[in-house]
Amino acid sequence: MPNVGAELASVPFGKMIYDMASAIARSQVALDKASIQLVKVLANTTFDYVPDVVETLMPNPRQVKGSNGQPILNSNGDPIVVTGVLVQTDVGTSFPLTLLQAGVNPTFYAFTNSTIEVKMSISSTQESSNTFSAGVSVTASADFLFASGSVTSHVNFSAANKYSYSVTGSSSMSTTLAPVPPPKNMMPRFFLVNAMDPAKVTISQS
Amino acid sequence: MAMQMYMVAFNGDFSQAASRAVQHHLRQCNGFTLMVMKTGIIAAFDDGMVPIVQSHPDVKLVGGVTLSPNGFAADRLQRIFAENLARQLEVKAAE
Repeated sequence: MPNVGAELASVPFGKMIYDMASAIARSQVALDKASIQLVKVLANTTFDYVPDVVETLMPNPRQVKGSNGQPILNSNGDPIVVTGVLVQTDVGTSFPLTLLQAGVNPTFYAFTNSTIEVKMSISSTQESSNTFSAGVSVTASADFLFASGSVTSHVNFSAANKYSYSVTGSSSMSTTLAPVPPPKNMMPRFFLVNAMDPAKVTISQS
Repeated sequence: MAMQMYMVAFNGDFSQAASRAVQHHLRQCNGFTLMVMKTGIIAAFDDGMVPIVQSHPDVKLVGGVTLSPNGFAADRLQRIFAENLARQLEVKAAE
């Protein structure tokens, strides 16, 4: 008879879990290495950051001129003056800024949930058939001086047993990879020293 | 599959030809170039395309990035990304 408990016990759960955990650990290390490499790339990528652009609008009155280039006069004989606008642009001094400082952060990943699923199907069938037949025949003859008799018997017995047993199994492993915030120890710390007002210098960390 | 933002770092020193080749490769992968720098490209493409993008000979590294709102120039980068993305999007007429 099939022993379901023995079949289940033969499934190498321990090895499966170890193999999966080992694969996850190796993958995690590779992912972390790639993210750390990316931190270096982002920290070494600089661009010129222009902190501000000041546009100043100033009045720019001018006379309206005709097609001959002469000023057009109104009914009182005064030149027509319109209020023009002069835009003065003052671009602040640019300074290099890394992508990390600018706000581009590397994505770190972590395996959050792992599942091992084992499915097993055990089926067993048994058929047995027995046939039995027996017969006896008796013959006798008698004469004046002689008599004879015979007894014959037969026994037929046949037995057939069919026995089948099959075990099928399948397993599946799944894991979830989710982005997580960068670990503090892997990211540089940013200190902002605000010395705009020398009398009141502030330091903040982000 | 989802569109994500990646930093595609160049292999070796910067060259205009390599940068253009990688941008063209990204376009073939249905990706979008958000910003180009000397060390690489910030791009957006489907996460299933990462191995294909990585396979380009001028690409050294492909890594996912996010834009931190606390960054010094995050809002300006976001605007640059949006402007560059808008130039690459094809708007099709409604049928």
